Amino acid sequence: MNNLPISPDNVLPIPAPIGLLEFLIILTFIMHILFVNLTISLSAGAVGLEITGRIKNNSLLDKMAQSCSFHASVHKSIAVVLGVAPLLIISVIYTQYFYSSTILIGKMWLNVIVLLIIAFLLLYVYKFMWGKWQEKKVLHISVGFVAMLILLFIPLIFIVNITSMIYPERWIDVRGFFASLFYYPEIWQRYLHFILASLASGGFYMFLYYSYKSWKGNNLKDYEQTLKLFGAKVAFWVTVLQLVAGFILLFSFKTDVRILFLGEDLLLTTLLVLSIVLTIVLCIFLFLAGYKDSFKSFTVSLAIFVLIVGIMGWMRHEVRESYLSPYLEKYPRTEQLSIQSDDIG
Amino acid sequence: MNFPYVEYTWLGYGTVIAIIAIIHVIISHGVAIGTSVLTVSLEYRAFKTENEKLDELAKTMAKWVLIITTTVGAMTGVGIWFSTTVIQPDSIGALLRIFFWAWVTEWIVFITEVVILIIYYYTWDSWKSPEKKKKHINLGISLSVASWLTMAIITGVLAAKLTPGKWIDTFSFWNAFLNPTYLPSLGFRMFLAMMLAIVVVAFLLRLFVKDLSLREEAFKVFGVWGAISLPMTFILGLWYLWSIPEQAYDMIVWSTGMTENTFKIINGLAFLILIVFLVWLIRSPKTVPIILSLAVFGASIGFIGEFEVVRESIRKPFIIYDYMYANGLLYQNQEKINEEGYLAHSTWIMEKEITEENKVEVGREVFAGQCLSCHTIDGWREKRALGKRLVGWDEEALKTYIPTMHNVRVAMPPFMGTEEELDALVAYLKKEIDEVNGVKEVSQSE
Repeated sequence: MNNLPISPDNVLPIPAPIGLLEFLIILTFIMHILFVNLTISLSAGAVGLEITGRIKNNSLLDKMAQSCSFHASVHKSIAVVLGVAPLLIISVIYTQYFYSSTILIGKMWLNVIVLLIIAFLLLYVYKFMWGKWQEKKVLHISVGFVAMLILLFIPLIFIVNITSMIYPERWIDVRGFFASLFYYPEIWQRYLHFILASLASGGFYMFLYYSYKSWKGNNLKDYEQTLKLFGAKVAFWVTVLQLVAGFILLFSFKTDVRILFLGEDLLLTTLLVLSIVLTIVLCIFLFLAGYKDSFKSFTVSLAIFVLIVGIMGWMRHEVRESYLSPYLEKYPRTEQLSIQSDDIG
Repeated sequence: MNFPYVEYTWLGYGTVIAIIAIIHVIISHGVAIGTSVLTVSLEYRAFKTENEKLDELAKTMAKWVLIITTTVGAMTGVGIWFSTTVIQPDSIGALLRIFFWAWVTEWIVFITEVVILIIYYYTWDSWKSPEKKKKHINLGISLSVASWLTMAIITGVLAAKLTPGKWIDTFSFWNAFLNPTYLPSLGFRMFLAMMLAIVVVAFLLRLFVKDLSLREEAFKVFGVWGAISLPMTFILGLWYLWSIPEQAYDMIVWSTGMTENTFKIINGLAFLILIVFLVWLIRSPKTVPIILSLAVFGASIGFIGEFEVVRESIRKPFIIYDYMYANGLLYQNQEKINEEGYLAHSTWIMEKEITEENKVEVGREVFAGQCLSCHTIDGWREKRALGKRLVGWDEEALKTYIPTMHNVRVAMPPFMGTEEELDALVAYLKKEIDEVNGVKEVSQSE
C-alpha cells in the first residue's frame, strides 16, 4: 500500500464531526436518489407507454404516458437540488478519494452538465408539446426517447466515479471514462441494481400517487386506475428480479467486503437479511394490491418501502467505508485545525 | 500536485469555468432573481387593475422562469462546482471546508426556492378567487425572497475569495463570510440582477408582445424598478470598487484586455445606453425602439461577462487572497517547497528523481501543476498560450526569468521548486515552444 497516489488531506479541518456528516450523507443521498430513480423510470415509462399506445392505437396508454411525463419533469428539478447536499458532503469527507476519481474522468464529468441540460429541456418539450404534437407523434416520441437515453446514460458516469474512488490502488493504470467503464469491477452490477431500483420505485410511486388520490375522495379516471395497477405490477415483477440482481452485486464485491455481509459482521449481515425479508413482504403487498384496494395496505407498503430504502442507503455507505477503511487509517483526514501544517494544500 | 489533471489544450482552464459561470450568472441574477421579482410585480398590478391579459403575461413569464432555472440555471450552478472540482480541486476543496455550513444553508433555501417555483407556476390557474390570488401573489413574493437569499449566501463565499479579511488570521467562518466586500457586492449584485432582468425581459416583450397597451402596462412596472435599480447599481458599484484591495483595483482595466481609453469609452457608452433606455421606458413605454432594446440587451450581457472576468482575474496571483495562489499552492509553503522540492510534495507525480531521460516528462508535470491553471501551450487566448508568447526565448533566458517573474508580473504566482525542477520545466517549455513554432525557426527576442 506504499506509494499510492492518495494525497494528504486538505489542511483545513473537516467542519463537523465525521459521524454527523456520515449520517447526513446517508440521509440526503437517499432523498436525492429517490427522485433520480423517479425521474429516470417515469421518463422511460412515459416513452414506453407512448410507443405502445401508438402501436396499439390505444389512447388510454397515451394518457398514462402523459401522466408519467408530467411527474418526471417535476421530479427532475427536485432531484437536481437534492443532489447538492450529498455531493457537498462526499467532497468534504472523502476529498482524497472523490476528487481524484472525479478528475480521472474529468471531461465526462463536465459533460454531465451539458447532457443533463439537453435532457431536461427535452423533457419540457416532451411534456408541454404533448397536446400540440398529437399529429406529429414520431417527432414527439423521438424527443422523449433522446431524453430517456441521456437519463439512462448519466448514472454510468456517477457509478464509475464512486466505484473508482474506492479503488485507489488501480488509479494509476486507467484514465478517462470509457476506459474506466470496463476496467473497474462492479460497475455493470451496480448499474443493473440501480436501474431495477429505479423502475420499481417508479411503478411503486404511481401506485402510491393514485391510491392517495382516490383515498382523498377523487374518482379515478380509467387511465388513472389502470396506471395505478400497472405501477404495482411493474414494481412487483421488477422487485422479484431485484432479489437476483442484489446477489449478483453482492458477489461482485471483493471477498473481504462480501464476507462482512455474509456473517462476518453482525450489523451488516442483519441489515442485509432484514432488507431481503422486507423486500419479500413488500412484494406480497404489491401482489395483493392488484386484487383488493385498502388504505391500510397502502400505508403499510409505504412504510416498508421507506424502511427498505433507508437500509439500502445505509448498506451502500457501509460498503464504501469497508473498502476505504485500510486507506482511511493510513492517510488520515484533517479533523482539527493546525495552522502550522506540514502538508501542501 | 495533490490530484491528477485533465487538459483543455485549446480552451484553457479559465475559459471552461468562465463559459459555465457567465451563463449561470446571467440566469441566476437575471432570471431566477430579477425576472421572478418582475413577474410577481406584474401579477400584483394585474390583480389591482383587474387586467386579465397582464396576468396571462405574468404567467407566461413564470413558465419561462421555471423552464430556464430548472434546466440551464440549476445545471450551470452545479456545473461551476463540477468544473472547479476538475480544474481547481485545491481551491474548491478549501472553500467547501470553510463555508460548509453556508452551503448547507444555501441548499435548504435552494430546495425551498425550487419547490415554491413549481407550486407557483402549477397553481396559477387553479388559485383564481381574490382570496386565493392574494395567497398566490404572496407565494411569488416568497419565491423572490428565497431566490435572493441564495444570492445572499453564495456572495459571502465569492467575496471572501477576493477579500478574506480577518479569516487569514482567525480561520473563523463568520470572519470569512462577513468579509469586507460582502455587503457592497451583495447590494451591487441584487440591483444588477434587477437591471439585467429589466433589459432582457423588455427586449423579449418588445419582440413577442404585439399588444401595445399590454406592453405599455408591463414597461411601466419595469420603469419603476429601473428607476430604483440603476442608481443603486451605480452607487453600490462604487462602494464595491472602493472596498477591494488596491493591488486588485489596479488590475481591473488590465484584466479586460482593453486599453484604459477603450475601457472607459466602452463602459461609459454602455452606461449611457442604459440611462437612455430607462428614460425612454418611463417617458414613453409604447415607443421603445427595437434597436435600443437590442443595444441595451447586448450591453448588459457584455457588462455581466466583463464583471465576471474582472472579478475572477483581479484576485491574481491568488485564488483565495493572501492564502492560496491561483495554481492551488499555499502562500505559506513557498520556502518549504523551494527547499524540499515540488516533486517531494506532489502525490500525483510518480517520478521523484530527475534524470536526463525523464527531464522533459517531469517538466510537463511541473507545468501541469503550476502553470496549467492559467496557461496553455497552444490555446485560443494568445497571451496565455506559452507556445506563442515565448517565441524566441532560449533556455537561459527562461531560467533567469521564471524565478523572478512574479516581481515583474503582479498576476503571476512565484515559481516553487528546486533548481533541478526549474531546469526540467524549462526543458519541457523549450520543447513545446519549438514544436509549436517549427523547430527550425530562427529565434527572435520579444
